[in-house]
Amino acid sequence: MGIQIGDKAPDFRVEAYSQGMTQAIQLSHYRGQWVLLLFYPADFTFV
Amino acid sequence: MAAVAVKYPAFRELGTEVLTVSVDSVTTHKEWHEKELSLMVKGGALFPMISDPEGKIGALFGVYDARTGSDLRSHFLIDPQGVVQAMEILAAPIGRNIAEILRQLRALQHHQATGEFMPCGWEPGKPTLTEKGDAFSTSRRVWETWKPRNAF
Repeated sequence: MGIQIGDKAPDFRVEAYSQGMTQAIQLSHYRGQWVLLLFYPADFTFV
Repeated sequence: MAAVAVKYPAFRELGTEVLTVSVDSVTTHKEWHEKELSLMVKGGALFPMISDPEGKIGALFGVYDARTGSDLRSHFLIDPQGVVQAMEILAAPIGRNIAEILRQLRALQHHQATGEFMPCGWEPGKPTLTEKGDAFSTSRRVWETWKPRNAF
């Protein structure tokens, strides 16, 4: 399944590393601001 | 990732949160942050680094590659209403251009604020297309405002 321009971004809730801690992240919590969602293949590589 | 960390203040100035995603664990993110990122950039990455171990988030956005078991190098710009306004997917050997992502973000925000259109190569300060209309009708008269030198 893919995404098209103009689609609502699918919501998700996951764990993240954030400034020394593990933090639960939910995409919909960022409504009201822009979000850059950036995927990359693996840690310890370039972005 | 260090490049994103360097430009993070610019994203924040544009009212934008950065969320990065890979299939690595939170523990691996922590290790990478402590051993490399925080040494390359003062303070390191101040944005959440999401762990997507089974590629579920990648699959939601159509960028999980089951052949390699990893998320493809890609980005999505999501507006304050939660709507996807830009996306890009690259082959793994090619790194992305963070300045270009910022340019796309500035152009999208400028359009939402003014209704104007930003032709090829637009950067803040360059001419926009101000005639009212949609992207299709406006672009038919682009030659009146835009010259090839504006592309670069």
